Amino acid sequence: MDHEMLILKIPSVAAELVIERGDASGLRCENVFLPNESSPLNFSSSNVERLKSGLEEYVLKHRNSLNNKCDSCFCSREKLKISSGVASSMESHRSPGLIVEAVIAISELSESLCFRSSGNKTEVLHFKDFSPSSVSIASLNALTSIDWRSYGLTLVSAVDQVDHALIEWESLPPYLHIDMVIHCYHKQYPGKYKYQPDRHLIKKGVKLALDDLKEKHTGLLLSAHAVKICSYAPDLASSIAGIILSSNDLKFRSKCSTLLELSQSQAIGKQTVEDRIKEKIISVIETNDRKPEKIKEAAPFLFEDDRPQDLDPADLYLEEHAGGDNVFSFPD
Amino acid sequence: MDDLSKSDMKFFSDQQHCFADILLPHEVQARIQVVVLNFLKILSSPDPAISDLPLINRKSSNSRVSEGILTDVSWIFLSHSFCSRSLMKANATKAFIRVWKVMEMCFEILIQDKRVTQRELFYKLLCDSPHYFSSQLQVNRTIQDVVALLRCSRYSLGIMASRKGLVAGRILLQEPNQEAVDCSACGSSGYAISGDLNLLESLSTKTDARYIVVVEKHAIFQRLAEDNVFNQIPSILLTAKGYPDIATRFLLHRMSRAFPDLPILALVDWNPARLAILSTYKFGSIGMGLEAYRYACNVKWLGLRGDDLQLIPQQSLAPLKPRDLQIARSLISSTILRDNYRQELAVMMQSGQGAEIEALYFNGYDYLVKYLAKKIVQANYI
Repeated sequence: MDHEMLILKIPSVAAELVIERGDASGLRCENVFLPNESSPLNFSSSNVERLKSGLEEYVLKHRNSLNNKCDSCFCSREKLKISSGVASSMESHRSPGLIVEAVIAISELSESLCFRSSGNKTEVLHFKDFSPSSVSIASLNALTSIDWRSYGLTLVSAVDQVDHALIEWESLPPYLHIDMVIHCYHKQYPGKYKYQPDRHLIKKGVKLALDDLKEKHTGLLLSAHAVKICSYAPDLASSIAGIILSSNDLKFRSKCSTLLELSQSQAIGKQTVEDRIKEKIISVIETNDRKPEKIKEAAPFLFEDDRPQDLDPADLYLEEHAGGDNVFSFPD
Repeated sequence: MDDLSKSDMKFFSDQQHCFADILLPHEVQARIQVVVLNFLKILSSPDPAISDLPLINRKSSNSRVSEGILTDVSWIFLSHSFCSRSLMKANATKAFIRVWKVMEMCFEILIQDKRVTQRELFYKLLCDSPHYFSSQLQVNRTIQDVVALLRCSRYSLGIMASRKGLVAGRILLQEPNQEAVDCSACGSSGYAISGDLNLLESLSTKTDARYIVVVEKHAIFQRLAEDNVFNQIPSILLTAKGYPDIATRFLLHRMSRAFPDLPILALVDWNPARLAILSTYKFGSIGMGLEAYRYACNVKWLGLRGDDLQLIPQQSLAPLKPRDLQIARSLISSTILRDNYRQELAVMMQSGQGAEIEALYFNGYDYLVKYLAKKIVQANYI
């Protein structure tokens, strides 16, 4: 519990503790929150920033089992990706003033000596009103109701383990580890306010954190659909590259090289052209995957003249009355 | 004045008409290059995207009928409704990539100035991209997708039609710089119609026949050729051995233009599916709707028809299969059929029975020729 308290990084609490322990020995003070040079926080940092910083340290220190960040596992900043989401209930809500903060950290660790992978599991730590709390039914329901497939994840189970929820994933890549923390509180805290945890709000907070991660890191948490489409990119790129390189038309080849930002000067091999096209295709797929469903646009038309004409009412009749099999449509 | 009114009447239907151009290899290559450039432009734009491939819809909902104004020929054509193939739609991704693969292969074929059959193309694709192509039908459909995308004929893509059809009878066919072939001396196997449309176009033709008889079944064609029916009734026999392929239709159309006074008569089983075959010679098809309209001919239905049923024994009638009835329903609802055909269909559907031409042999093996001769002399065809 102590280790987890540190995640909250509550400055006022730390200050109280320091004052209380003012006359304590240095050793005892060492366990208290101390300003960390690597993640500068000041009094104006928001709660969620603190939570984020706290989880980051928690993960970097292997769940606060170390005093300092593990340099061998986290040799570069890229190894740990972290994001947050904040959802608050509106005034019109039945329990206005509720706030849910969610922070998610994804670590990409190769096999390391100090960190034993917990396999396909994530402990979701819970806080309520700035204290560690047990897991609510609302939270469990929220976690199980998220469409994890749109983030490339498959949830096997989410169970209450008293001080945290344990999520089991189906087949995470072996080097990938996910940590999560959820904090619910009322904006009037520390004023006393009774409320029930809100499943929708928790779900919203976690989704905002997931979307934030996807937005900031290309290729992370790609939906299963996007991963599948990406697997076709090499074949598509190969066909297009094949056409370009078979052509005898130098102007055409030059235009293609320009569009693909390839050097015009020397003969370019098929692999180079293919790789560039593949890169661009995958980039579009990944970008599209980040957009929420409602603002995904229809793909542009390949030929400007081909916009579909407005249907004649007569055409509409024909369409409505089209039978099943049509005798005139045997394949030749 | 005549010409003006002709063009006036056709004006609006031309606007709706979508067709595949017959192009030279370098023109098709240019179109494919345009597809690639547009795709790359959109892929590399400031707001990059992966374009869909817009294809002319080959469905009955997109088909129209052109009524012959001053001729007897009506045909089916396709209009401007599109469907699209998209990379991003799950389950449709492979179909999208298949179009690109076939386009790539056709591009290479054209660059090498070659021609291939659909079968050869299938084997090449099967070797190159086994994950995408598993059947001839899939390849054929993808080829039609490319036709619908580029709006050029299948032959322009370097793909030859199948070599299915046969000709026999009183016609001389001569390829450039070759000996003329007398199709009345080809025996029961007839002269094989090439799948190379350019070659068919270059054939010179001579005839003293008075009729062209299109025979649906190979066995009947063979029987008639063996019996030299064309010497008794001065005629040309033609068959596609079932569903008419483009090459057979092409040649029939050429003959109809070269010899406009020769009535074209069809001999098919008494069955909705066979009537559908006749309709394909007559009006074209939706499946190849972007090009088939060119080869529509004024084919008349000689037999078997309703009033021929009295010539065959009751026991030779067989119940129609559900598929036959489905075809009948679809045909009868099609606006292109004339009333007299519709009436015949209605009788077929009512009786629920069909009959094969072979049933005429009940009256003797030479009866078929007598039947043909009588019907022709009486001009008993619709």
